[in-house]
Amino acid sequence: MFTGFDWEVIWRTKAYLWQGMLFTFNLTLLAMLGGILIGTLLALMRLSSYRIFNIPAGAYVNLLRSIPLILVIFWFYFLVPFAIKFITGQPHAEGIGPFYSALIAFTIFEAAYYCEIIRAGIQSVPRGQVNAAYALGLTYRQAMMKVILPQAFRNMIPILLTQGVILFQDTSLVYVVGLTDFMGAANKVAQRDARLVELYLFAAFVYFVLCFSASYAVKQLQAKLAPSSR
Amino acid sequence: MININNISKWYGNTHVLKNCSAKVDKGEVVVVCGPSGSGKSTLIKCVNGLEPFQKGEIIVNGVSVGDPKTDLPKLRSKIGMVFQNFELFPHMTVMANINLAQIKVLGRSEQEARDRAMMLLKRVGLEAHAHKYPAELSGGQQQRVAIARALAMDPIAMLFDEPTSALDPEMINEVLDVMVELAQEGMTMMVVTHEMGFARKVAHRVIFMDEGEIAEDAAKEDFFGKPRSERAVQFLSKILHH
Repeated sequence: MFTGFDWEVIWRTKAYLWQGMLFTFNLTLLAMLGGILIGTLLALMRLSSYRIFNIPAGAYVNLLRSIPLILVIFWFYFLVPFAIKFITGQPHAEGIGPFYSALIAFTIFEAAYYCEIIRAGIQSVPRGQVNAAYALGLTYRQAMMKVILPQAFRNMIPILLTQGVILFQDTSLVYVVGLTDFMGAANKVAQRDARLVELYLFAAFVYFVLCFSASYAVKQLQAKLAPSSR
Repeated sequence: MININNISKWYGNTHVLKNCSAKVDKGEVVVVCGPSGSGKSTLIKCVNGLEPFQKGEIIVNGVSVGDPKTDLPKLRSKIGMVFQNFELFPHMTVMANINLAQIKVLGRSEQEARDRAMMLLKRVGLEAHAHKYPAELSGGQQQRVAIARALAMDPIAMLFDEPTSALDPEMINEVLDVMVELAQEGMTMMVVTHEMGFARKVAHRVIFMDEGEIAEDAAKEDFFGKPRSERAVQFLSKILHH
């Protein structure tokens, strides 16, 4: 098996591997968007001075950050259909399918991490900016949308993207619910054609090139954003 | 117009404002001075509800600031405020800074807001800088934009929280000139500052604060003529010597 590498196998299965890569991109982007959206709401809740907001948000973040991602994916895949059956009372209710259950799992898991990033970003905006916005008569919502969040996100872009790169790698965990992402596709080809070395090396190479370039781009962006900040 | 009645404020166990009472009538210019840490900035931030206070009440234009039922954004939109560190929004141009609240809070059209902004920028001598970002302006210019931004809301009173303390000496006068002009036009003003020249020129009354208390509240002539409290005498001798 280790003699005579057959790199041709990658070329022959490129369409299948590309399908997997599209799935990976798709899941990463959707989970990132959802995670940032929910994470922003959670961050605002955590920063609220009202206990009914900040206690649940804090509990959510601490819970999700203390559980392995793979467990969350499992939960959503196996428990959600069960819960739907229980709630609707239908004995044969369909689940929401592996893709959506995985997407929800990633979104709520990432939201906990994004929440902490965004919270730090909001806190990095000087208190005086908040006061200035309020002093002009802006409401909390207007001050957040127009003054605080634009500055906070600008400060956070590099770290948000870095978290996206981590998410991109983590999506390979979807194999546990039978979904085929790029890693899953590579794995299946490897098993079928007994070309483990070629495919695993290739997969590693692709992940490395993509993640390394993304990290490099983030670093460039960071340097570009830095001098114009206050 | 502004009535501060016996307010007290604590930060944890620190008593930062002790039974402060003061009044600013319509058209009056009141200067608040005192050593740093005396609570003067905290006091002025209580007036438009940026700082909460635990005891007493503040009535602005007939509305109680500390009342939880008060529509604070509405009240604040009528009270202009200028800060020590300018606090222009760095991600917006000068024009956008001045227009934001006019459009969002007062509901003015883009065109109305621009016209008003241009008029005010002309007034503070910065009409050529409308398209720039705050970081491209000097401190004095930024503070004048901040004044224009506050005036764009057509406020019934203006609060100034040490407006010249963060400025280089050569820029202080360009900001004070705008403030003097404003005072002479009859704007109601409450000004926390160490600029005694400004106080002498346009203030009607001077409030001297020390250790969270209002130690002296006197007409300008009395304050500079013969301050009654020992602490005010000491403060003035320190501040007027250089």
